Amino acid sequence: MSATQEFRIKWGMVIDLDKCTGCGSCMVACQAENNVAPAEDGLNRRRALNWLLVYRLSNGKPFPDHDIAYLPRPCMQCGKPSCVSVCPVVATTKDEEGGIVSQVTPRCIGCRYCMASCPYHARYFNWHDPVWPAGMEKTLTPDVSVRPRGVVEKCTFCHHRLMAAKDRAYAEGRDPEKLPDGAYVTSCTEACPNGAISFGDVNNPEHKVHELIKSPYAFRLLERLGTDPQVWYVSRREWVRRLGDNYLNNEPTKG
Amino acid sequence: MLDRRGFLKFVGGAAVGTLATPVVWKGLDDLSIWTQNWPWIPRLDKGNNLNTYISTTSKLCPSACGMRVRLVNGRPVRVLGDESNPLSRGGVSALASAEVQLRYSPARLKRPLRRTADGTFVAIPWYEAEALLRAELVKAARDGGLMCLSGDENGTMNELLSALTVAMGSSDFYLMPGEAQTTAAAWKSLGGRGRVGYDFARSDFVLAVGAGVLENWGPVVGNRRAWGRARPQDGEPAMRLAYAGPVQNNTAAGADWWLPIRPGSEMAFLMGIAQLLFAQGCPSAGVESFAELAAVWTPEKVARATGLAPERLQQVVEQLAAARAPLIIVGTDLGQGGEAAPVILGMALNTLLGRVNQDGGLRILPEPEPVFPRAMSYGDMMAQDFTAAVRAVADKKRAAPSLLMIYEANPVYAMPRGAGVEELLGSAGFSVSFSCFLDETARRCDLILPSAMGLERFDDVNTPFGLGEIFYALCQPVAEPLYESRAAGDVLLDLARLIGLDMGYATFREALEARAASLGLDWAGLMKGECAISRATLPLESLIFPSGLIAEALEGRFIQPEKGALAVATFTKLAFGTADSAIPPFATKLITDAELTAGELSASMNSATIRELGLREGMKIRLVAGEMSLPARVRAFEGVAMGTVALAAGFGHTNFDAFNNGKGANVMDLFTTVEEPGTGLAVWRCPDVKIVKA
Repeated sequence: MSATQEFRIKWGMVIDLDKCTGCGSCMVACQAENNVAPAEDGLNRRRALNWLLVYRLSNGKPFPDHDIAYLPRPCMQCGKPSCVSVCPVVATTKDEEGGIVSQVTPRCIGCRYCMASCPYHARYFNWHDPVWPAGMEKTLTPDVSVRPRGVVEKCTFCHHRLMAAKDRAYAEGRDPEKLPDGAYVTSCTEACPNGAISFGDVNNPEHKVHELIKSPYAFRLLERLGTDPQVWYVSRREWVRRLGDNYLNNEPTKG
Repeated sequence: MLDRRGFLKFVGGAAVGTLATPVVWKGLDDLSIWTQNWPWIPRLDKGNNLNTYISTTSKLCPSACGMRVRLVNGRPVRVLGDESNPLSRGGVSALASAEVQLRYSPARLKRPLRRTADGTFVAIPWYEAEALLRAELVKAARDGGLMCLSGDENGTMNELLSALTVAMGSSDFYLMPGEAQTTAAAWKSLGGRGRVGYDFARSDFVLAVGAGVLENWGPVVGNRRAWGRARPQDGEPAMRLAYAGPVQNNTAAGADWWLPIRPGSEMAFLMGIAQLLFAQGCPSAGVESFAELAAVWTPEKVARATGLAPERLQQVVEQLAAARAPLIIVGTDLGQGGEAAPVILGMALNTLLGRVNQDGGLRILPEPEPVFPRAMSYGDMMAQDFTAAVRAVADKKRAAPSLLMIYEANPVYAMPRGAGVEELLGSAGFSVSFSCFLDETARRCDLILPSAMGLERFDDVNTPFGLGEIFYALCQPVAEPLYESRAAGDVLLDLARLIGLDMGYATFREALEARAASLGLDWAGLMKGECAISRATLPLESLIFPSGLIAEALEGRFIQPEKGALAVATFTKLAFGTADSAIPPFATKLITDAELTAGELSASMNSATIRELGLREGMKIRLVAGEMSLPARVRAFEGVAMGTVALAAGFGHTNFDAFNNGKGANVMDLFTTVEEPGTGLAVWRCPDVKIVKA
């Protein structure tokens, strides 16, 4: 595991699981924004790539005490990313202000060590070349390169949007390292009709997420692995928080 | 003279020197890029990277999402939410989000198609298609035999289609069956005038009965935006939601309370609420007959009919009584073919709670004034029952139409198999479909005309169903129509002119401009994405509780399914399309085992039901109801009411595209149409099913 590198800016996401209803708007927006090809059979895990995947959670109780929740899972942009240290070709790094774990697909040799090391299953391998139905390639955005077969890809917190926000700040004479709250948000944050996703610099007290992560109901996935994710989840439901980590039977749930 | 030592020194030095330069590393980098640079991988068309944005409204999504469409060098590439839209406030549904890409669906119609004598289709030019349709229109005008079906829910296009139908001497203009007609029929039964909307955003406690208010009912993106804003991550919720329905669907996932009730037991649930409200002192003056009917629906009796524990019913009533602005919304998961009687009860309960024309309550909205001369009024359109008309033709109780014109609707797929749509298409003299996609209905028509999609034409949204305010927004083209598709409104206005009918406008845009002017709106503002909202209401006049109708509707209901039989509940996700569309290519990854298991429809049951029937998870089964049957696989899911099987709607397309065809089965194969006792409305009903191991 990599040593911790502290950044002055730390882009983070806070997802309120009590507000996510599993509609999938974030997943569609993510695919369209990042030029992820559609799949005829979305259940075929060798064909279907998801930078963001919505998982269904259950409290495990029988009817009528059953409860349900949905958990959108982007890349956690870990503070101590296990994928970075195993990449033999420096295709994935965490060295840019903001703490986003990069994925340089032209460098990737497809060894998939990063996939094996990622505890969140956030990385996907292109077993096949991406195919868009005839004509649909005209809807590709100019922001994110299309990845061929043989490389690994993952969520980048819409890094191109960060670059665009910085460009805008430069052009308007503002400090690009002091982006105001909302100047840079990911595509999924923007699309969610419920407002379940919040995004910003968790180190900046002027950003809403700075306070949100202090909620007693906030937790991170598999926090005790020590990966230090930059994605927080919030739920007032104890059973949801308990599913976020591997608790022993006699251990109390965080929050 | 170079000796051996000198040569080795030279080679070594060259190697070290080369490594010290960036040549090797740059070369390797270039090589790695080159090896990924194949001609069949689409290249990004960056051009001069000129980004423009056009504000418009989604015609694909029934919630009328406000969209900012991003164009790069004139190409639409993304649908983004429009923050300035007062209804959707920047939110965008999964369906609208995929709208730009859906333009290139493999099912998209490219050119007009005519059916030949051997049943195959040939592509024909537009002038030939127009000449063919013109001749059929002339014939239909002579015998008054035009029947028109529209899949549009709320646009001025319905006025054009109805005006054309009336001008041709027919009154057979219909909308695809939806919640709007059911709600209108319910309101009419109470003696109400105007149209009904629900002020979801201003309520502090919403009880949704069957209506998927957070997934597919009414102006759902607006609902969700309001719900999300009322529930800050760092504060106490300002709105609570209870959902009563047989399946723990996406609305139940967001609700504070899921109240599992058996399919078809909504009326018992609502009568139970009425009984408790009256028992707690709700004044019964003027609604004595309601109180009398409700008196027998004790929580225990309701529990027997619905399966809901009495204390949970009590809890709901306490919440309703404690709320500042409670609201009851009754609907169906399918959003089509629902019964009016439960909606009547919902409206009566809102009235009982004093919630009519209140902020956060049920609101009586004025009907829009038509801009097309001879167009049917909103009320008249709502009173037209397509299901009943189809049944009448199939039963030979009325003549088949000489010309059947279908506008952006897919009744062959979206209506019950037993409704008689196929028979109607078979018996019509000539059938034409204006459609964006080569869908199941288009394939059964004699002429198919490619329609421009909502992003490629002028259109409008005039108060989506369910909204508690008058709302008007424009749809404008963000790109030229693809292939040879054309805006159906303009095609029809041209044809009307050619057969000597004066519709009042030369182009559909002119009609929309007239609409804007009639509403006192600035066209330039509408083109910039501005929307009009009015909170005007009609005064509440005395309503009459139709006790006879309700008593009749309650009679003979809530009989427990016979042993081994299961009640069927459906659940719908907006991402998987509507009755008039299908699963967009970008939504297939949203499919989970809740919808499909090993490529077949998942039949979700709770584990107690599975045990009782001696089934096991993953088992191939058939759901059988009389002569109808549906293949499926057993899936254990504890979020389904006892004795119930839950099935996903929106699957089982047979003629759409590779993203749809062959995925699961169509739940409509199990449904049939019946006349609702009391109202006489043609409603869709799924009988109890038996499970047969396949």
